[in-house]
This record gives sequence, C-alpha cells and structure tokens, in this order.
Amino acid sequence: MTEKTVQEVRKLPPCRSACPAHVNVQAYVALIQRGKFKEAVEVIRKDLPFPAICGRVCFSPCEDACARVNVDQAVAIRALKRLVADIEHEQGRVKPEPVPRKYGEKVAVIGAGPAGLAAAYELAKLGYPVTVFERMAEPGGMMRYCIPDFRLEKFVVANEIAYIEDLGVEIKTGVEFGKDITIESLKRDGYKAIFIAIGTQLGMRLNVPGEDLEGVINAVDFLKTIALGKPVKIGERVAVIGGGNTAIDAARMAKKLGAKEVMILYRRSREEMPALPHEVELAEKDGIKFYFLVAPKQIIGENGKVKAIECLRMRLGEPDETGRRRPVPISFSEHQYEVDTVIPALGQVTETTSLPPEILNKEKRGLPVQVDPLTLETNIPGVFVGGDVATGPASIIEAVGAGKRAAVSIHLYLTGQDLRKRKGENIEETTWVKDWGLMPKKERRHDAPIEKPHLSFEEAKEYLEKLKQKARFEAFRCLGCGPCAECLASMDLCEGDKAVVDENKCVGCNVCAIVCPVEAIKKNEKGVAQVNEELCKGCGLCAARCPEQAITMKKLTNEQILAMALTALKEVK
Amino acid sequence: MESNPSTPPKIVCFMCNWAFCEEELHVPYNVNIVRVMCIGRMDPTLVLETFANGADGVMLAGCKPPDCHFIDGNLHAERAVKMLKKLLALTGLGANRLELLLTSPIESKDFGSYAKVFSEEIWKLGESPLKKDELASMIRVNVDAAKNAASAFRLRVLLGREEELTEFLNAYGEKIPEEEFDALLDEVVKAEFIRYKIHHLTRANPRSVKELAEAVGIKPSAVLRHITNMRRKGMIALERVEGNTPLYRALEVR
Repeated sequence: MTEKTVQEVRKLPPCRSACPAHVNVQAYVALIQRGKFKEAVEVIRKDLPFPAICGRVCFSPCEDACARVNVDQAVAIRALKRLVADIEHEQGRVKPEPVPRKYGEKVAVIGAGPAGLAAAYELAKLGYPVTVFERMAEPGGMMRYCIPDFRLEKFVVANEIAYIEDLGVEIKTGVEFGKDITIESLKRDGYKAIFIAIGTQLGMRLNVPGEDLEGVINAVDFLKTIALGKPVKIGERVAVIGGGNTAIDAARMAKKLGAKEVMILYRRSREEMPALPHEVELAEKDGIKFYFLVAPKQIIGENGKVKAIECLRMRLGEPDETGRRRPVPISFSEHQYEVDTVIPALGQVTETTSLPPEILNKEKRGLPVQVDPLTLETNIPGVFVGGDVATGPASIIEAVGAGKRAAVSIHLYLTGQDLRKRKGENIEETTWVKDWGLMPKKERRHDAPIEKPHLSFEEAKEYLEKLKQKARFEAFRCLGCGPCAECLASMDLCEGDKAVVDENKCVGCNVCAIVCPVEAIKKNEKGVAQVNEELCKGCGLCAARCPEQAITMKKLTNEQILAMALTALKEVK
Repeated sequence: MESNPSTPPKIVCFMCNWAFCEEELHVPYNVNIVRVMCIGRMDPTLVLETFANGADGVMLAGCKPPDCHFIDGNLHAERAVKMLKKLLALTGLGANRLELLLTSPIESKDFGSYAKVFSEEIWKLGESPLKKDELASMIRVNVDAAKNAASAFRLRVLLGREEELTEFLNAYGEKIPEEEFDALLDEVVKAEFIRYKIHHLTRANPRSVKELAEAVGIKPSAVLRHITNMRRKGMIALERVEGNTPLYRALEVR
C-alpha cells in the first residue's frame, strides 16, 4: 500500500521536494521523533543508498528549503541522518537479502561514483542484473578519492557500497571504459542498456603563465594522491585557488600535512562562495586564511619552482547566468603572495577521450555530451548518460538524483514503455502552515558533531543514549509540512488514518476546523465539514472534539480505543 | 497504607504514540498502556468510560509543549483534562484519579518512575468507589451523567473553542480572560452534569422536583430551573401530576 501511494503523491513537503533524490525527510524525521532509528535508516534507503555519506557531506538542500527557517532555524536534517546511519553502523547492519531477479536484461553502469551506484542500486531493487565497471582500484568515485578522510571516512564509503553489493549488484574494478570495454563490446556481451556516469575527473587549469612550474598541483590530483596513500610534497606556504568545497578540503588537507601557512584565494566575496558555510568555519578554525576578491594573474617561478603568485584585485559587477555577481578585475592592482605551493581548485571537467564520439556535444561551448535532460537518453539507443558528466561538477545528492532518473529511464526503455511518461515529475511543494508567527520558537537541540570525544565503553554508551534523546528532541522541531508522509512510525496504529464526517450529523459549528492542526477539515459551501484527505494526518483531534460526534476516524475509532482500554484493564492483574 | 487493599490499583495509561519509546519504558505491571495517535485525540468520554469500566486511575501521557507531533494536540489534552477533573470531582470519584503527564523526549527515561509515583498515589486513594458496595450505585449514576455531559454539544463546543475564545479575538473583537473562561466552564460543567443526572434519575421512574432536589443535592428551585431548560431541549417531559406534585420523566435523547 505504501509503495504505491508514495509514488502517486505529488504534493511534497519543501525538504523532500528540494532534495534531488527526493528522500522522504518528513518520514524519517518522524521516525526519529518516535525513537525508531533503525526504521529511519530503512526509510532513507528507499530513496538514497548513502545515508551515512550524505549525513556527513551532503550540502543539504533540504535544510535550505526547510519551512522552519520562517520561524527560527531549519531542522538539523543532515545531522539527524548522520546519527541514525551511525547508530545502525554501531549496532551492526543487517545484511539485506539479495533482490530476486525479475528481469533478464543485463544492464551495464560505467563509473562507480554516486550517480552510477545509485542507478545500479535502483535497478537492482527493480530486479535487473546490474554490473558496474570502475576504472580505479576501489569503487566510490569522488566520494572515495576526492573527499578527504577527515570529512568522510573511507570505511563509511566502503560500508554503503557493500550494502549495494549485498543487494546483488556486481562491481568490477580496474576496468577502463574506452580501453578495456567499449559500448560495442558491452553490447556484444549481452548488456541491453548502458548508463555512462564517468563524472568529471580532470581539475580545471588556471590558464595563467607559470602553471607548469614545480609546486603547482591540482586539488583533485592532490587529494586523489593522498587518498591512494601515495606521498605528496607540500611546501610551507600554500595558496589554494577557488572557493568550492574541494578548495576547502585541499586547504585543510595541506594544513594537516604540515604546511605552515595556508591561504585560500577566491575571486568573489564570502557570500558567493559555493563551499558549505560550516566547512568554511572549520577551515578558519584550522587557521586557514581567506583572501577574497583576488584572482591569480601569473605564477612566478625561480629555478623552475614556485616562488610567488601574482594576483589582481577584483570588484563585483553585474550578476552572471549563475546568479552570482561577476568579478571584474581592477587594473594596476597587482600584488604578490610569497608561496611555494599553488593548488588550483577551480572545478573539474570530463575527460572526453573515452566517450563514444556520437554522443559528444559538437559545439565548443557548454557541456561535453548531448543528452536529454529529462530522460538522459543519448543519440545511441540504450545508452544513457548522467551525473556530473552530463551536468558539470555538482554534488553527491544531485548525482544520486541523476542515477535514479537514469534507472527509471532504463526500466521504461527495457520494458518498451514511453520514456517521457514517468511518474512523480511534477512535484508541488506544500506546507500547511499559514501563519509563521503562531509557531512556537525552538532552538536547535542537536547538530552535526564537530569532534567525537574519546570515551570509555560505559561513557560511550551513555553518550550515545544522550545523543539519541537529543536527536529525538530535535526531530520534534519538524513542522511536518507535507501530508501524511507514510512514515510507518505508527503503521500498526494509524494505517494512514483519515477522518470521516457524517454529513447528516454535522451542524457546521466549525470546532473541527479550529482544532485541526493542519487545516485539513473545513466547512464547505453547504456548511458541512469536509475532510481534505490529501492533508489529513489522521491525528483524530477533530473526532475527539466534534460536539455532535459527527466525525469518526477510519481506523482508530473511539470504539477501538475503548476496546483497547478495556483489554488493558483486563490484563491488569 | 493501612486501610488500603493489598492488590495494586488498576491503572490505564493512554499514551501519545510519539511521546515515549516502548523499549525505554520501565512501567509498573499494574499500569497498562494504550497507544493513541496524539494525547489530544482522547475524547473526554473515553476517559470516563474507562473509569466506568473499573479503572482505579487513568493517566494521559503526552509531550511537553511546545513540542507536539501535531503542533498543539497536547494543549487540547490539557484543556480536556481540566474539564474532566471538574467532572470527576462532581461524580465523587475524585479529580486525583486522573493525571496528565506531559514530558519532553529528553526526559522520557523517567516515565516509568512517573507511572510508579502515580500508581502509589492511587493506591493510597484506594480502589475506585465504583467497586465499593455502599456508594457504588449512586456513583455509577454520577459517572453515567458525567459521560453524557461530556458527549453533549454544549460542553464539547465550549471545550473545542477554548483556544479560540481565550487566545484569539472572537467575532466581536473580545478576548475572554482565562479566569473568566474557567468560571464559565465550571458553571457549564456543573449545569450539564446536573441535567444529565436528572435525566438519568427520571429514566426508569417519573420523579418530583423535591425527590430530585434531594437526590442531586441542590435546592428545589434550582432543579426546577434545570427542568425548564431540559423541557425546552426535549430532554424531559411532564409525565403526570400526582395531587399537587408534577412528576417528570426523561425522554430519549437523540
């Protein structure tokens, strides 16, 4: 029952609608409120295979959208997600049963990053045999190789990927697309659909003189080398160029590797930085200096090594197509920073050499591949492209969204259906709250942990219990904007309960409308109360107050509560 | 606890589904929990019905404001309990047999001890008077009257509108102060209780005003005022006049 209704619901709370993977936030927050942490993880996994990863590094568009900002501060959704995932890890994850194969058509996914793995996960859940091919020695893509250990531990990535493998997804590593396998070879091997999600692997170049000097290392290469466990030479004074999360990661990593002074040079101001605000704060805590409104002009070398970086001051001009104000250089504002290492972190591009030429974008500007943004189809039938490779570098959760989209397309393609007729595309954002001023203010009660304290076994147990309580308390801040989220928190009790009005008994006194917390019941033009089933959450307050007792609940009626009470009375010795 | 029975009291605890976690409960075995969607979901009649069926104590457990899964269901429960306590005092069961416990999730660990304390208090009060012979029949009439009063339009509409009346301006731009509302509630609870008691007492045999005044414990003139009111509502009718004394009999209500 639940599976079906979730797909049909088009009105979603702002958090869920903002999430590219449409994770059922309201439901798992409700489950946390109820203290059902295990079930909460299961609800997250319905839409997202990476609860622990996203609980750590997601840029949480859900929190930006959270309606509670109108009252005080968004619900700490990411921190809650991380906690439930960590609790599950601590208690030991139950190995899921492999999904039985319903379909015979083999699907190949190229690239074991978030997009590819999410697509594989969704397809495996539908019952397809899926194989993921990965060039690197370990799956995980940028999650493993680009996000440093102090933000996302490797075992977390490994654990979440193990879950996907447990479902029956086969991952073949060390296989390079375009060399070891091609589209033709895969088709020859019997793969009926192919999803290319190779991402963006190459760090963008600065395009200034002196870029090939010794001591210039691209952020992606820098982080990847460290993730591979290879030695990296880092100087004493490091300049990181860029304002994204990769720049922050690289700067913090350089500091942790022993650099004396690390600075971040960014050509816009702090407000325009794409990096997560709390990451910026952490970087500042680490002692990293920020220089805003500066852009490199050239890197000055001495004996083939970096000696200094010359920069230009910038000012902010008109907003560009991304909505951010375009930096404009101020002439004659050259100045130098003495550094011995320069780490450009300007974003990534796709290595297009491995891609089949048919799907490449013929025009010089824009993204490297031609792809239908809705269905992710390419010119070659049965070949789909998604994730960073199709959109440019983005985030894990957006990649998961793309992977899910691809999975839907592939399923429709393999079952011979119209790829454009897909469910759940027109999502409407909704919240029942009309007057924010009436909502009581509540401070955050739980937030992302900065550092894990070192505790003894007993202390750790107590600490976890306290965290759980705090998390439950935090979850109570959720306004529950959407209609019944089918959280299963009280499925045994409510079964998606709804109020029903006996029109013959209703006298139109409007008491139900007053007590209803979500304005799901109102007088209609006939002067009779009418339940809006889309909004009704089944709390039963109206039934408890209706002066004429004209309102009953579908499941948990007064009679049923009384019967339960009588049974309870009998059970007391 | 000298004069008290040796068996522990029977206690039913209606608990908000969101309030506590089952795994965390360390509840005395004489307290049995019934889960409801929200503690505001408790129709006042259900509580009275539970008492009528032999509960020695009833506990309503929910979340501490301002936290509620349904925003303000717990406040609705508070209002209902206020009214119920007034009714219970009138029935002779005593207001102390009902308790509303609103706690926040960070102190949920303590629920077991709260329940224990309540159970001990009820133990001190002794078992429900409904089980004691001398008084049982009279109190049963009272509980029945309270039940009917709690399901009647007047009391319920007042209860349902309390928030609107005391916290927001009404259609005339007035706001009723809390004390004034409380006095009003008192009056309505008493009047409704008495009317339904009269109704109950005249169900089997027609009775005179004097008889009723004795049974209810108010002045005959007050009884007459209630009867006039009840006749207008079609709750009661004049059966016959014996000598100079009119006798009234209850009519079937709805």
